[in-house]
Amino acid sequence: MLLAVDHIDVFYGSARVLSEVSLQARQGEVVFIVGRNGAGKTTMLKTIAGFLHPGRGAITFAGQDITGLTPDKVARLGIRYVFQDKRVFTKLTVKENIELAAYAAGVKLSEALERMLQIYPKISRFLDSTAGGLSGGQRQLLLIGRAMVGSPRLLLIDEPTEGLAAGTIEEVLKVLELMRGEVTMVIVEQNLSVVSRLADRIYCMKEGHIPAALSEPADIQNQSYLETYL
Amino acid sequence: MNLSLTLPEAFVALLRKFDVLVIIALFLLLTLLISMDRTIEFMIFCIFVLAYDVLYGYMGRLSFGHMLYLGTGAYAFALTGELISSNPFLALLVAVASGALLGLILGPIIVRTTGACFALINLAFNQLGFFLALVAFSKWTGGEDGMSVYVDKVWIFDFSRKTTVFCFALLSLIVVIFLMRRLTNSLFGLLLRGIKENETRVQFLGYDTFAVKMVAFIISTSLSAFAGALFILNYSYVTTSFIDPLRSVEVIFASLIGGAGSVYGALAGGVSYKLISNYLPNYVQRWEMFLGVILLLLVFKFRAGVWGYITAWYQRLEATPAGKSGQPPEVGR
Amino acid sequence: MISTLAYGLTVGGILYIISIGLSLTFGTMRIVNFAHALVYTLGAYILLTSLQKLGVGFVPAAGIAVLAVIPVSYLIERYVIRRLYGQSVDYAIIATYAVLLIGVDAIKWIWGAIPIPLSDPVGASVLILGVDLPVYRLIIILISLLIFVALEAFFNRTVVGKIIIAGLEDKDAVASLGISVDKYFAVAFTLGSCLAALGGVLYAPITAVNPYMGFQVLLICFAVVVVGGLGSIRGTFVAAFALGMVMSITGRFWGPAADTMVFVVMGLILIFKPIEA
Repeated sequence: MLLAVDHIDVFYGSARVLSEVSLQARQGEVVFIVGRNGAGKTTMLKTIAGFLHPGRGAITFAGQDITGLTPDKVARLGIRYVFQDKRVFTKLTVKENIELAAYAAGVKLSEALERMLQIYPKISRFLDSTAGGLSGGQRQLLLIGRAMVGSPRLLLIDEPTEGLAAGTIEEVLKVLELMRGEVTMVIVEQNLSVVSRLADRIYCMKEGHIPAALSEPADIQNQSYLETYL
Repeated sequence: MNLSLTLPEAFVALLRKFDVLVIIALFLLLTLLISMDRTIEFMIFCIFVLAYDVLYGYMGRLSFGHMLYLGTGAYAFALTGELISSNPFLALLVAVASGALLGLILGPIIVRTTGACFALINLAFNQLGFFLALVAFSKWTGGEDGMSVYVDKVWIFDFSRKTTVFCFALLSLIVVIFLMRRLTNSLFGLLLRGIKENETRVQFLGYDTFAVKMVAFIISTSLSAFAGALFILNYSYVTTSFIDPLRSVEVIFASLIGGAGSVYGALAGGVSYKLISNYLPNYVQRWEMFLGVILLLLVFKFRAGVWGYITAWYQRLEATPAGKSGQPPEVGR
Repeated sequence: MISTLAYGLTVGGILYIISIGLSLTFGTMRIVNFAHALVYTLGAYILLTSLQKLGVGFVPAAGIAVLAVIPVSYLIERYVIRRLYGQSVDYAIIATYAVLLIGVDAIKWIWGAIPIPLSDPVGASVLILGVDLPVYRLIIILISLLIFVALEAFFNRTVVGKIIIAGLEDKDAVASLGISVDKYFAVAFTLGSCLAALGGVLYAPITAVNPYMGFQVLLICFAVVVVGGLGSIRGTFVAAFALGMVMSITGRFWGPAADTMVFVVMGLILIFKPIEA
């Protein structure tokens, strides 16, 4: 078990946002968290990544207790969080965005760039452009590529296909399929067709807790079945 | 009513019910300990702290230039007395009106800001006001030297007698306390505190937060101006020190010491600060440094201030098995 | 008019040097750092002491002053700022103001409260376009331009600089890469403080050195930061010189109003472009 979230409660002030939530991801798996807006999915990812700390419960990664660690420490252990809203460093160029990741991971820029181009060859045209000028899909792929610098063991991705056109979604999906097996992923998604294509397991989240975890392929493919849990 | 109160609880409950009388008694006591003159100053300063607390304690906005409004009231009072009429009540009215007017004019600009911006923009206007009083309008204000103020005797109010001033100041303080109570216990007070916590949420509930903030701002500036006018009523002399931005830290300090967001806290803070600033220099030469250190301590360790501490301690007492059970404790009044 | 313009540029240059630190701290941590004024004042006083007690020349004394504030700046950042900036901005403002109060009183204690004039270290003037301009003021303008170039290089070419730029925009994303952002913000803070001390050193011969000189310049620097845009280094550059000009030109027509005019400008900017802080 690479990642184990064990009965965590997360509070926002005095409001409980997550209650008794548990989740697991085995090495190499692609796990999805689905649910309506406001269910607590982003809170979940943020807590694993260290931006929020649970009031109760524990999070274990590769046998190590990472509950309460700061986000940079969590990242150094090999977990990368890809934010919602496709937030890149708009004032830096694409190459510089990757440069920062390479510097942080202790990897040579040339290696990091090679990796990026493997994942998303089309970005070679934009290496020296300011990241702020990229389209949504390009940003998302830059973010994924940037997160992969240093070969992390776990990726936490928040709504990668949100706001993207069908063709771009396909591109993103292909990239994720490519990375499957190489890295474990926990992905928050609202697009159920994407979920069905990639998922090894699906956690349905509703109002701060998880009423169902589906791992049977038949269940996963059945979108209307999924929807009943939301 | 829970009749099984222990003696200390009953005592506190009694104090709470008649707190206004207790406050009056305490200030009278203070008069005996330090002079009546000083006590008047303390009481007026408490009004200023209460005015400041509307913005800081309840709405959560830190202003670093509140002396502007105090000073406006002070100068308005003086100038009215000098140029228009020496009726003290008219002058007081004009002072409060000037404070309100200033709040009305500056409000739309200032109230939209928050945090550091709010602190700074108040400071900037304060500097502006200071400059106007010191240089630009020095012909009327007397600039650095200031000007004396004379008021007439009106009916039984002879403000040249200290006892009259004392009673008037005490009365004003009580009235302001009642006003604050009504305010904070009303829907308006609730909205203010809501805005402090999460303005967007209050907006989503359908309230015009801008209007609420404007009203709070105008109340704060008017009451500050009132305090300013009272100071001059007491001193019969106004100088630029009443509008000096460097003195804004005094009221901030008092709010912190006492505990922001409660009437008792404001009173405790106002009196404490005045006691410290009046008597500490006699014992500690570098008292400003001392003040800075205390301020740091307050920020790091005692955020809730003296009153907050007392309330928290009392709550813990109530939470023990011997205390009342099931009742939510009242936090600050 | 030439001398007014030159003076405007000089003041602008100094404002720029001092304001960089404020802009960085404001941009990275959203804190109004009143203690910045303290570092500025200390710079001037340490320069004074180095000149008088150590008997060194102006340039070495300036160097000592700039380096000497590093430990002070470290202490402020580590024990006051870092503790507070995750939490309430208001408390950070009050705390830094408290530090300023303590510092100013300490300065009064050590050096006395009387203003100490310092003579122009160059003492020569040069004839430009028919006007006698002190060389020293031209040197200040030159230094500020050099610093601008150096900072541009630092922020655009070095990794540390780029991390700070990224952190100014999106602190969390930088952390998610595994970078301990606080450390880099501390670097930015120290850099800003050294520049503030330099500003104090440079301005000392133009105005008398007194314990309250920090207060006088601080507000104007806030205006610069607000007008230039929080955390925008280039914006600070433009705003500093613009406001320096405003001050100089206003000062020529109505002396005491110079400072006030700056606030009027800041007020106007805030009306039309309020900032979220």
